[in-house]
Amino acid sequence: MGFFQDLLHTSRVKSPWLIHFDCGSCNGCDIEVLACLTPVYDVERFGILNIGNPKHADILVVSGTVNPRNAKALKNIYDQMPDPKAVIAIGACGTSGGVFREAYNVLGGVDKVIPVDVYVPGCPSKPEAIIDGVVLALEKLKKRRPEKDTEPLVADLKKAREFYENREDRQVTR
Amino acid sequence: MLAPQLIGISIALPFIAAVLCLINVKPLRSALVIGTGVVVSVASLALVQSGAISFTPESFLGINPDGLIAILDFALLFVILGIAYRMKNKLIAVLTLLQIVPLAFLELFMNPGENMGPAIYVDQFSMIMCMVISIVGSLICVYGLAYMKEHEHHLKLATSRQGRFFFFMVLFLGAMNGLVFSNNLLWLYFFWEVTTFCSFMLIKHDDTEIAVKNATRALWMNMLGGVAFVLALVIFRSQGLPLSLQEIITAEPASKLILLPVGLLCFAGFTKAAQLPFQSWLCGAMVAPTPISALLHSSTMVKAGVYLVIRLAPAFAGTVFSNYVALFGAVTFLGAAVLALSQSNGKKILAYSTISNLGMIVACAGINTPAAMAAAVLLIVFHAISKALMFLCVGTIEQHIGSRDIEDMRGLINVMPRTTMVAVIGIVTMFLPPFGALLSKWMAVEASAHLPLVVLMLAVGSALTMVFWGRWLGLLMTSVVPDKAPLAESQPCLIRLPLLALAVAAVLISFVAPGLYSSMVLPVLERFYDTDLYIAARGVISNNIGMFALYPVFVVMTLGVIYAVRASSSKRLIKRGNYVTPYVCGLQDPGDSRKLGFKGPLGVWADFKTTNWYMESLIGESRITGWINLVAIGILIILLAGVF
Amino acid sequence: MDFKTISFVILAIILAPLAGGLLAGIDRRLTAWFQGRFGPPILQPFYDVIKLLGKEPQVVNYWQIFCVHIYLIASILCVALFAMQADLLMIFFVMTIGAVFMVVGALAVPSPYSQLGAQRELIQMLTYEPLLIIVFVGIYFVTDSFKIADILAYDRPIFLALPLLYLVLTFALTIKLRKSPFDISASHHAHQELVRGVLTEYSGPYLAILEIAHWYDIVLILAICSLFWSTSWIGLVILLAVTYMAEIIIDNVTPRMTWKWMLTYVWAVGISLSFFNMALLYAKSF
Repeated sequence: MGFFQDLLHTSRVKSPWLIHFDCGSCNGCDIEVLACLTPVYDVERFGILNIGNPKHADILVVSGTVNPRNAKALKNIYDQMPDPKAVIAIGACGTSGGVFREAYNVLGGVDKVIPVDVYVPGCPSKPEAIIDGVVLALEKLKKRRPEKDTEPLVADLKKAREFYENREDRQVTR
Repeated sequence: MLAPQLIGISIALPFIAAVLCLINVKPLRSALVIGTGVVVSVASLALVQSGAISFTPESFLGINPDGLIAILDFALLFVILGIAYRMKNKLIAVLTLLQIVPLAFLELFMNPGENMGPAIYVDQFSMIMCMVISIVGSLICVYGLAYMKEHEHHLKLATSRQGRFFFFMVLFLGAMNGLVFSNNLLWLYFFWEVTTFCSFMLIKHDDTEIAVKNATRALWMNMLGGVAFVLALVIFRSQGLPLSLQEIITAEPASKLILLPVGLLCFAGFTKAAQLPFQSWLCGAMVAPTPISALLHSSTMVKAGVYLVIRLAPAFAGTVFSNYVALFGAVTFLGAAVLALSQSNGKKILAYSTISNLGMIVACAGINTPAAMAAAVLLIVFHAISKALMFLCVGTIEQHIGSRDIEDMRGLINVMPRTTMVAVIGIVTMFLPPFGALLSKWMAVEASAHLPLVVLMLAVGSALTMVFWGRWLGLLMTSVVPDKAPLAESQPCLIRLPLLALAVAAVLISFVAPGLYSSMVLPVLERFYDTDLYIAARGVISNNIGMFALYPVFVVMTLGVIYAVRASSSKRLIKRGNYVTPYVCGLQDPGDSRKLGFKGPLGVWADFKTTNWYMESLIGESRITGWINLVAIGILIILLAGVF
Repeated sequence: MDFKTISFVILAIILAPLAGGLLAGIDRRLTAWFQGRFGPPILQPFYDVIKLLGKEPQVVNYWQIFCVHIYLIASILCVALFAMQADLLMIFFVMTIGAVFMVVGALAVPSPYSQLGAQRELIQMLTYEPLLIIVFVGIYFVTDSFKIADILAYDRPIFLALPLLYLVLTFALTIKLRKSPFDISASHHAHQELVRGVLTEYSGPYLAILEIAHWYDIVLILAICSLFWSTSWIGLVILLAVTYMAEIIIDNVTPRMTWKWMLTYVWAVGISLSFFNMALLYAKSF
């Protein structure tokens, strides 16, 4: 069993397929994510592919702040990814909400909705940093067993839901 | 029992039972239909024990059978004339007169009985046809008992018309059996006209405006074939040939003019088999209740047309005419497959697919090699079983969901799991290996390989066939897994029995195809051909150019299906993994994985709907039928010119 | 069946996916090289498949699972039949079982993306199937047999008699390999693809099974290509290498086209090429 286990773990590390979700980023981070695919950085060297379908993906790369509207979509996308999976929050906005943290319609960083494994700071994050982030995420992903090791959703998720449900009350009236 | 008695039972019993069916009492009718079905089925199976035989019945209930048939012939034609008069349809009247006058001339002045030889000739081919007619036909009639009850309930009729319905259904079985046993062409002609008449009466059974219109069209197109038939008989006699099928096949092609009447008989076969450009009557016939479509317009009556063409094939072997027949059949195969692709009406798909398959049988008869003939005979059997099964499924589905459109059958597996599984077997046996229909198609393609144009059309047509069947197969299963296992729908016993019997037969007979070939088809072929015959040994059918490893494929795929069923069994999956919603860009309802649709703008729940694309703008029926007919008429003219 | 055939069949079943995966790896490496990148390791496809096998099974509908298994078994059976030197046309028909069930699995999910992909896959099958049959008929014209054993016994390379039909075969190969310009149902390249066409709803281990079955298919088609120069190993290897290289280059220099273009173009060009080739054969025989 050990051999197959090792083979599986190696393969996981060598074949991370990313899905990139833009939560309302200013596109600065998005462009940097795509830059990783260009010949200059060529992440396919590490077996990394940019995939458009959460059902095929291993790593969810999220950029931008989370607001009540896209929180649901983000959560849904995350739910549709088969285990084992990891999440990387990209950029100042993705990690914490950035300069928009205090805005009335902003929940905060990605970790308010789904469990985040790696935070990549920067505004925007550099491609090298993003690649570094993926490598970090792979370490976590490597030994994760489906179903068993998924961390329970952060309590903030509940909060986010409440916020979403009560947003009428909190809307700014003109 | 002796073979002549069995043959007599197969023909006469349905005629007698049919008349009794006119007594419109339900228990009697059920008993008659089931009883007749069982007896003729057993008789057809018992008949297989005897080899090829031929004889002339001396008398039928003390009457000279030749005279009886002549009288009945004229009676039938005058009945049709009367109908034409009542409908004020000049075309049918003219076509009927065109048959009455030459037939009278033939009977009175041309001494039709000269050198007749045996009136009945039965070989393995006839036995195969008889089995198809008796067993598949009886199953359809039994199905009809339950179907018509529901049908009439739906129509809210004051008085039941089932007496008339089963009169024609059962009568038809007898007529078909008579048709395939007859060697005397006059007898064959009589049974031929009886089937035409049955078809007409059954299509207009519901007496709606459209039914009467389509029935009329079916009648005049078939009468066209009848006229050709009578003309062929007159020409045979004028050349001094006896009106015996076997004599004509084995006659030395001394006089080249023999091809003309043979060509006319083939023309009659083409009209009966609804080959292009006569396809419209068969499509129109789909207005009739489904058992009729299953019995007459897919599995048996239209097979009479191709039966005649196959019977005559040795008579024109090696001629240019033969190649034209192959081309004509291939055009029909391709044209009907294109038309089927543009349809979403389930019964019309089946109708066009039937025409398409009959086209392939005609093409095989035209190719005229032993391999092609084997393909033709086997295709008759397998097509009859699978297509009857499909028609019965569509009929059952239509009575349950109120639609015959295949788009409405989306996800039917959760609504009618039993019928859908049977339909899946029906579809798969129609177009995938290792089942018989594909085996015959494989034989046909290999046999046609020396005729590039024909093989091209067969290749394109078979790809089209795969598309429309595959599409249908897929959408039956389009569904999300429900919370509870879907409740199996209730099926009356008289519906379940024919469905199951046909489904089992479709699979089992495909499995015994090598045995069927060596015991039933090979003896017939050996009479006319001595080289390049297929040999079936140890489950592998092979000749000098190809081989089909039927049993290996069968065994591996059976094991594969068992494995796949185990792997996908829902119990295991629920334990191991989970069901999710389809991907809708993250806008699904996270609470319910069974809910289809997505959250649209302003938080409004939106359903999406997907449909197949039928390419109506490209190959819609109204768009291309004219062109296809034009091509077919062109080839038909060349073909009939090819007899000279 | 003698011992030799059986061992040959077993060997083919084991080696075919390895060869297919390796080929896919080389393909990706070469593609990267053409684009001025370094590219993934040669063994990358194997890592991908092993990783997918270790993922959580997640489906919409159990028919998907049923269908991928049937696809895999049909593809393995095809390769085995080829190794047994059976009938080409029969192998082709067995191959359609797998292709049809792949589409059925995609149609079984009520998802717009996979439904659309399935319809496109059907059109692709519609496009290449007649061409493959025509190619087999061409081979029959030259060798007088559909049986691979007899075709291998033919003493001259078939390619010399059927150069144009070989081109027709490469059309089918391109479609089967999912390469541009014919990758309309599902593409290997993310930039050509909205979601993943016909593969959208297959995930985890089932996607892996599809991938393995696809490798079998590719090996089968390449094996059919290899029949065209079966007389010498060198000729065979050169023919296959040139063919595959051409496929990669075409994949890189062409965009994905519409199905209508594909159907009309491939049929028109394919059928006319076949007829030219047939005419050539007839002319030679006189």
